[in-house]
Amino acid sequence: MKKNISGKLALITLQVLLLPFLTGCWSSHEIEEVSLEIGIALDKGYLSSIDKEFEEQDGGYQKNNNITITFQTVNTKGIGNNSKGGGSSEQHSYLNVSETGDSTFQIVREIPLRRDHPIIGHHLKVIIISEELASNYSIKDLLDSYLRDNDIRPSCLVLISKGRASNALETNVIGEIPSFRLTKMVENGYRSNKILPAMPLAKLTGKIQSESSFLLQNVISADGEVKLTGAAVIKGKTNKVVGFLNEEELEGITWINGKVKGGVVKSSVKGQIIAYEIKSMKSKILPHINSGDITFEIKIETEGRLSENWVNRGKPSDNKFLREIEKSIEAEIKSLMENVVQKMQNDLEVDVAGFGNKLKIKHPKVWKEVKKDDWDVTFSKLPIKYNVEVTVADYGAVSSD
Amino acid sequence: MWKTIASFLPDWLIIIQSLIIFLIPYFIWRFFIYIRERANIATIKQESENSQENTCNFTGNLNSDLKFIKKEIGHNSDVHFREFNIGNTGIHAVIIFIEGLSDKDLIDKYIMKSLMIDFSNENISAFMTEEGFNNIIKQQVLSISDVTNTQNLNDLVMKVLQGSTALYIDGSADVFILGTTKGKTRSIEEPISEALVRGPRVGFTEKLSENTAILRQQGNIKSLSFIKFQVGKRGNKDLVVAYIKDLANPDLIHEIEKRIKKIDIDYLPESGYVEQLIEDNYLSIFPQLQSTERPDRVISALMEGRVAILLDGTPFALIAPVTFSMLLQSPEDYYERWIPSTLIRLLRFLAAFIALLVPALYISFISFQPGLIPTKLAISIVGSREGVPFTVLLEALIMEVSIEILREAGLRLPKPIGPAMGIVGGLIIGEAAVNAGIVSPIMVIVVALTAISSFAIPEYNAGISLRVLRFMAMFCAAIFGLYGVILFCLFLCSHLVKLKSFGIPYASPAVPFNLNDWKDFIIRVPLMMMKRRPKMMKTKNSIRQK
Amino acid sequence: MIKSEEKITTTQAIVIVTNFILATGILTLPRTSVEKVKTPDVWITVILGGLIMIIAAIIMVKLSQQYPGKTFYQYSQEILGIWIGRFLSILIICYFITVSGFQVRSMAEVTNFFLLESTPLWAITMPFMWIGLYLVFGGINTIARMFEIIFPITLFFFILVLFMSFKLFEIDNLRPVLGDGITPVLKGIPATILAYTGPEIMLLLVAFMQQPSKAVKVVIIGTVIPMIFYVFLVVMVIGALSIEGVVVRTWPSIDLIRSFEMSGLIFERYESILLVIWIMQIFASFVISYYAASLGLAQLFRIKFNKIGFILLPIIYIIAMSSNNINELFKLGNMIGNSMWFLFLGLPLFLLLFTKLRGAKS
Repeated sequence: MKKNISGKLALITLQVLLLPFLTGCWSSHEIEEVSLEIGIALDKGYLSSIDKEFEEQDGGYQKNNNITITFQTVNTKGIGNNSKGGGSSEQHSYLNVSETGDSTFQIVREIPLRRDHPIIGHHLKVIIISEELASNYSIKDLLDSYLRDNDIRPSCLVLISKGRASNALETNVIGEIPSFRLTKMVENGYRSNKILPAMPLAKLTGKIQSESSFLLQNVISADGEVKLTGAAVIKGKTNKVVGFLNEEELEGITWINGKVKGGVVKSSVKGQIIAYEIKSMKSKILPHINSGDITFEIKIETEGRLSENWVNRGKPSDNKFLREIEKSIEAEIKSLMENVVQKMQNDLEVDVAGFGNKLKIKHPKVWKEVKKDDWDVTFSKLPIKYNVEVTVADYGAVSSD
Repeated sequence: MWKTIASFLPDWLIIIQSLIIFLIPYFIWRFFIYIRERANIATIKQESENSQENTCNFTGNLNSDLKFIKKEIGHNSDVHFREFNIGNTGIHAVIIFIEGLSDKDLIDKYIMKSLMIDFSNENISAFMTEEGFNNIIKQQVLSISDVTNTQNLNDLVMKVLQGSTALYIDGSADVFILGTTKGKTRSIEEPISEALVRGPRVGFTEKLSENTAILRQQGNIKSLSFIKFQVGKRGNKDLVVAYIKDLANPDLIHEIEKRIKKIDIDYLPESGYVEQLIEDNYLSIFPQLQSTERPDRVISALMEGRVAILLDGTPFALIAPVTFSMLLQSPEDYYERWIPSTLIRLLRFLAAFIALLVPALYISFISFQPGLIPTKLAISIVGSREGVPFTVLLEALIMEVSIEILREAGLRLPKPIGPAMGIVGGLIIGEAAVNAGIVSPIMVIVVALTAISSFAIPEYNAGISLRVLRFMAMFCAAIFGLYGVILFCLFLCSHLVKLKSFGIPYASPAVPFNLNDWKDFIIRVPLMMMKRRPKMMKTKNSIRQK
Repeated sequence: MIKSEEKITTTQAIVIVTNFILATGILTLPRTSVEKVKTPDVWITVILGGLIMIIAAIIMVKLSQQYPGKTFYQYSQEILGIWIGRFLSILIICYFITVSGFQVRSMAEVTNFFLLESTPLWAITMPFMWIGLYLVFGGINTIARMFEIIFPITLFFFILVLFMSFKLFEIDNLRPVLGDGITPVLKGIPATILAYTGPEIMLLLVAFMQQPSKAVKVVIIGTVIPMIFYVFLVVMVIGALSIEGVVVRTWPSIDLIRSFEMSGLIFERYESILLVIWIMQIFASFVISYYAASLGLAQLFRIKFNKIGFILLPIIYIIAMSSNNINELFKLGNMIGNSMWFLFLGLPLFLLLFTKLRGAKS
């Protein structure tokens, strides 16, 4: 009998103690109750007419209007309609919402005050920073809350926009989502050598911390269209944008650091256009130390195809003609590189092509010495030699004109 | 100084929590101990009750004994008493049999006729001694193969009720029991619950003797041994333990015998009773004996050193010990070639995984970790869930429960309408529910996938276990998301590794790791390479082929 | 003493050691070691740390082999007398309790950060510890079997996930090799020791082995497997995130997996898999240290094993919750790593020499 009572007691206590667990689910938020943020644009602070009206009605908090952040979220209502096939919806499949303030994290948490669906960052794909903002504030500070966040993945890409960053998150095409368009465009490096390798937050952390200068892909926009053009130069000491490289200069950079996966070199023979399609390339930056003087040598070997030939009576089946083409392309590549090195050394005084890194790897002791001074300044006075070797391996389906 | 120490002292809240963390498992533990103890007390009580049995022996006087017998079973309309004189000796005798159960032809031709008409007078002289009398009846008169004697009333009643005929001859307390049973049996058919594309089309029937005969016939193994037990206190039933004498581990047989002897219950209608009464852990959700209708399956299990238990009155034989991997294997794996068999096995493991965890993972991804699914999938899920009024858990429960109801109803339905109803239920409810916005289409896909996966598991009862566990997993996921699913898996694994089936770890051969046994686990290697019997069985002779 | 069916095979012993070692270190080792070394040569440090641990483990094994069938708690009393022996045993029990508390807490922190943001820590911790208790009740053999399930899953998915991150790998991040000489490499060794806590279980495990003579093999293989794991991990993490990037990330290994997406597959994102196997590993470490502590108390005070299990639960919980923030948690981790030097390198060496000398005398 005694056993019986203790057993029943145990059972009742068990039930009581297990009750709190039924009320669990602390962290449960259904996916449709939140909105997925997929793109962010950081701009210099500006107040829209709505913002101003809100502020007139005392809707605000203690802040400086330094930064305006535009959040792009997926408009699921538009998508839901499409999937059910319920007629053509004129709606865009994305929604942009802007908020102004000074702390990037505080701005995110203002959104729940304005929208029924709070924003979650798990699916953030791209962050675009406007040049105006990035040349005044350190990128490190601007991105700090995103790097710290537990939702936002470090795989998120970072781009710089020369104009208003939020414009890059617009499109005129119904059904297209601008953020996805941008991330896909960055992956097109195998078709063009004017695109920098993707720079996700994960890689950016190292660059920011290492105090060496680096490049970020630049994107410009006009009337709902965007274009990747050139790159922004970020000075390592300050982590601010100090200048831009245009498309051709960026091409020179990708040749120097060997990040070319594909693309075209346009050159001319006898004043006529020829185009060379890169199939493979190898680039080496060789630092040389001669009695304390540092010199660099860039060695490039590339193989490719003659893809376009406007030259009259130029027969690619003729080796002599091929030689001529190769020479001209070699000269073109060399000039691309010289052009950008000249800009790096004289105009911007930065090293964004990885010369310093190569020196560090090959001659760590020397690097330690040089590092004490500003490497960017030291670099701008160093002589650089070029050595380009082009092989035209084939000429496509047409052998003579 | 004090401040630094104080900062490390736990908060009172933490102390309360630490009490809770102690109390809850402690009470659960006490609770289980209490259940186990109660079960033990119950069995002890039963034993003491049943120990007093009336032993009533015959006296040798026909009239008085007949009264006894009639008092015991005479009120039954189907019990027949036929009194007659043996030959022309004037010795009174009676036969007792049951209408329908006993072979009347046999009784008329070979018992009555030989006793009454063919009984020759030469034998009379030997009638003087009782022993001689019995011998003569047995050796010269009764032309029947199955003749035994008894002096006990209970024994007689039991045998007669099973279809034997009792022959009582006045003056002898030794009553003949003549095997005239002609039970109704059905013909041997293909087992319905375990249909195979390739393999013998033989299934067990309800008759024990036929089943053992099938085993003998199928196996043709010299050292195949059968041990007979009587189980059930009120309704006595035969139970046979089959094993191969020079293979099976004697400890295992001993253990099984011990447990069968412990069975103490009124009546065993089906081998499921035996299964539940002799299994290691009745609180576990996993079947610890395998039930099968297929003789080939039993034989190949015996050849691995396992033991089979056959009960009279059911076509389902039990195989022990069983391991988790066996529940996902089918005899066909061995009949087909090894590459497809291996792939099919992998498929079944995948199906088991899907049946167990996919709804739980779905719940945890949708309501806890939206960041872990691909962006495009997330967007389409959001689109499809737009307008669904329920939480994911409730949505999943609605669909899962209705699928379970459909399945259960499908079992009860008459055969011709069964499939039609299944289609109607599945398609129409699914389609209509989506259109009505009660559930999202992706949920329907998830539920359908799980349901189909759970039917891909060859063992029916393992499928049931997985289905029950699936609901547990879903609740865990609804509380803790992905973390809950992990905890559930850890708990399940902990339980699996703790569980043993007749001394063999249930999770073998996965653990304890045994490379040799892995040849027949997730993959099935060519038969040429399976040279040894499973090591975990600790067989007497481990070599299968040279 | 120990029933023959309770004994564990050599493979099981290896798996136990490996599973004990692989725990919190998987997530933090790249950061803690890079913080100290500051050059890309961390992988050398990790190898050296492993080698030191192997030496310590061999000493512990040799010591245990002197007393076949007995655990440290039993033979320490034999060597140094009841009271000193008991004192040392209690020290080691405290160590195991602290380790299990640390594992639980770091599991809870990571889960809370990446998986369950607003769930209270106690709710995360409690079910985890209860399942641990359930497994511990099964005894060493059951634990070993459980570890045998966990180990191959970990091995497979860990390597799979790391290989997927190859897209981000840049060999330049790992160069130059030994650019600053060997000194920074050596300086980092103490930081790696915490990642290698685990072989100390051999003080008890040798008594449970079917073939105690193979114990040296067990610790060598059991430590080399995690060593290869760690080297691979450190190389991949630094290769992708660079030295400067690793230092500032709190959980660099998870960040590595979070840094890429493989579109077109069922899962695009693999940190969930890494977290799953990591939680399983932590569970393994927690269970084995919990078991070691309860076994110690049971043997020392001759109390029933089950009761000890229950009594230890609140103690471990309080220790787990004693850190007020994540810095204190990491400090606790460092303390555990530092105590290794004394408890599992110095002490066994002393005891071994003591036994040998006494043996020589008599």
